[in-house]
This record gives sequence, structure tokens and C-alpha cells, in this order.
Amino acid sequence: MKQIAAMVALALAALALTIANPAVLPAQAPTAMLSGKITDGLGKAISNAKVTLKDLATGESAEAQCNTDGAYTFVNLAPGDYEVSVSTDALGAKAAKVKLEAGQQQTLDLTLAPASQEPLPNAPAPATQEPSLGDLGFTPQQTQSDAKLQAMLERRTEMLKIHQRLGLIAAAPMAAALIIGPMAKAKGKNGQPITEPSSANLDFHAALGGTAAALYYTSAYYAIFAPKVPGTTKHGAIRMHEALSFIHGPGMILTPALGIMAYKQENAGEKVHGLASAHGAVAWVTAGAYGASIVAVSWPIHWKLWEK
Amino acid sequence: MKRFLIGLLLIAPPAFAQSDGQWVVEQSTLTYHMSHPMHQVDGVSRAAKGKGICHAGQCDFLVAAPVKSFDSGDTNRDLHMIEATRGAQFPMVVVRVRMPQSEIGFATIFADLEVQFAGQTAHYAHVPFQRTARGDRLTITGTVPAACTDFKIDRPSFLTVPIKNEIPVRVEIIWRPM
Repeated sequence: MKQIAAMVALALAALALTIANPAVLPAQAPTAMLSGKITDGLGKAISNAKVTLKDLATGESAEAQCNTDGAYTFVNLAPGDYEVSVSTDALGAKAAKVKLEAGQQQTLDLTLAPASQEPLPNAPAPATQEPSLGDLGFTPQQTQSDAKLQAMLERRTEMLKIHQRLGLIAAAPMAAALIIGPMAKAKGKNGQPITEPSSANLDFHAALGGTAAALYYTSAYYAIFAPKVPGTTKHGAIRMHEALSFIHGPGMILTPALGIMAYKQENAGEKVHGLASAHGAVAWVTAGAYGASIVAVSWPIHWKLWEK
Repeated sequence: MKRFLIGLLLIAPPAFAQSDGQWVVEQSTLTYHMSHPMHQVDGVSRAAKGKGICHAGQCDFLVAAPVKSFDSGDTNRDLHMIEATRGAQFPMVVVRVRMPQSEIGFATIFADLEVQFAGQTAHYAHVPFQRTARGDRLTITGTVPAACTDFKIDRPSFLTVPIKNEIPVRVEIIWRPM
């Protein structure tokens, strides 16, 4: 009685194994196992897809149904060459060959592309089409690739990066020239000669001013000659940045010119007079506009001082 | 009567999702957020267009926007972004979604997105979107967790400091049936 019960239990277990999920092809020991996952083009599991395994040597085949995670399993397989195929109504079919070795547990994942991307030979036309870019009504100008414009933008970015770096570097000698400006006098306020270090200051001030001007002009060159993108209307902080250049631009021409005049007057033992006496004031206005133009584009716009 | 009402309540919300049909974008706002130690910038586009086709229990949605249409409030920065994202060469950002039609009826939709941008394709799995219905209009809102590295974008820099890698894109789209 026990023997009969055991045999019935064994038969039921075998039946359950066959019915449940893993598909079985008859094989002699030792056997192999094949499992995998079926996904769509986006990597999403395709549940309940039917997977067919065909033994290429014998022509026998077995079927398994994917679970909700898109996983399938075939167990108890004879070593050899097989073809795994899967098909769904929505995504078409896919097949792949696999060689199984004795005692091996092999994995084979298959991805089904949408029917429109991977048409099957002689397949009927799909009942519906995926929406395409052409359906959306964009103009050709909007969707067309423009390699020339991309190259122009890259050149523009490169030039503006140089402009930005040189502009920032120029701020240092400009600030230093402003600071030592009041000390750069060969003669005191009342015309008395003052000590030797002040003459050195005058030369140092001139050198700093010259360096700032050279860096400024080079920086300005990269901004002025950076390619202009056609059809672009400027808005935002860049407009303020550019507007301020109408102050510091002429200022950076006038300041050195007046500085040279003042330098000559000082060296001639004269008190700085006439237009040259405006050198300091023009320099301060120029530097102020220059600093403001840097702040205009670099101010942390998310800092709202009026909000706590 | 009670049974009828319960049945109606169960059927009504996803009713649109049960039949074949097509959808178009009526209104859209896409907003990318860019972080830099000195700037927090939002670039907004309202130029996205889209279409959805539902058939045999499966829905395919396509949404696209011109890269040039994003406005961060400064022309210079926008041109720099177009350059960095290769926007002249690849002028459109295109998002494709495929999902079972039944999922569209839920208040929270988890979508697997395929995003084409800057000449690259990135996949974002299980992105949550909130769905609200008003009349026959559907509003979908959510955030795509995009990052520069997903699209092999050299991060734009300012004062030699690059922006953060993450550029999340907030999506708000109103769909209407065609």
C-alpha cells in the first residue's frame, strides 16, 4: 500500500513539475537546464509569452510560458543544439540558437523589438502604428540637423571661454593699478618733490595699467569676434553685461591715454593738469563699470536678498 | 441600484483607457533644473508636442520638444546649453513610452521611458507620474531623473566650475483625445 502511495505521489510530483512552469524535453542523464527572460525594447518584462525550445538534432520541441517577470525555464534537457523562439502578437517573434552542455545551467535572454522597428518577413501590416516624429507637426527647420551651426556654437563657446578667463585675469592688475594710483605721483599735491619709492610706484602703476589694458583688449577681441548666431534675440543678464561695455570700453581707451599724458606731465616735473587730471576719475568709472559687467553675468541669481 | 453604482464607479475612471484611441498634447511645460555653486537655473520649454496611440490594450506615447525651445532667462546660457548638448546637430529631445492601456487608469503611472537626446538614447525605468483627469483632459506630471552622463554630455561650466551631473526634467503635460 505504501509503495502504491509513493508511486502515486511521485507521478503527481512529476505531473506538477511538467504542468507548472519549467518545460521538459525527454533526456538521458546528465541533463542541462536553460532559463532566461523575455523583455521588450525598453527592457520591460513580457509576461505570459510562449517560448518554444526545439532540439535541432531530433526536431522535438517543448513549450513554456513566461511568468509575470518574463522568466522562462526548461529543465532536464539533453546536451546539444537548440533553437529558442518566442512570439507575441504585439511585438512579433524572435529566435536564437543555443548549445547546451551536460550539467550546465545556461541563461538566454531575448528582447523583442516593436514590430515597426524589426519587421518580420512576410508579416502582415500591424493593425496600428506607433506615433512618429513626423506626426507631431514640427517644421523641417526645427527637426533638421545642422552640423554647421553646431560647429559655429562650439567655436563661439571656445572663444567666449577665453574671453571669460582673460576678463577675470584682467580684473587683478586693473584693481591693483587703481589701489596704487594715488601713490603714483612724482610730486606731492603742492608740487614738492616726494621720495624716490613714489617714482617707482609711478612706473609700477603704469606697468599694471598697461597689463590690464592688454588683457582687456585681448579679452574684448574674443567677445567681439565670437560667431554670432543668426536669429537670436538677446535677453537676460547678457544684455546688461553688453550695455556696460559701452562705458568700460571707451573708458579703457581713455584711461591709458589720459594716464600717458599724466605720466609725461609728472616726469616733466609738472603738476598734472588739464584733461590728464581726469585720469583717476575716468579710471574709477571704468573699473566700476567693468566690475559691474562681471557681476551682471556671475551674480548668483538664485540668491534673493529680499527673501529670507 | 447599489451594485449598479459600484459598478459605474469601478468602470468610470479608466473608461478612456479601455478603448482604442489617440491622444495629442494640448499644453506642455518641460523644465530642466541645473545646479552650479553660483547658480540654480531652470530652463523651460512650452513647445513640446506629442501623440499617443492606444490599440489592443497597448499604448504608445511620443513626446518631443526642440532643444532650442528651452529658455533659462539668458540667451548666452541657452546657446551654451545648446552647444553642450549638441542641440544643433540633434535638435530634438524625444521621449517614447509604451505601457499597457490598463495602467493609464491609475492615479500614479509608472512608466518606462526611452529618451533620445544629444545623439544618445537613455532608458529610465519605473518613473512615477501623477495623473489627474479633468473632463476629457488628462494632466500628467512627474520628473525624469536625467543626468549629463546619461547622454555623454560634457557638463557646461561657468567660471571653470562645471554644473552638477543631475539635470532633472520636470514634466507637465495635458493630453486631450483626438
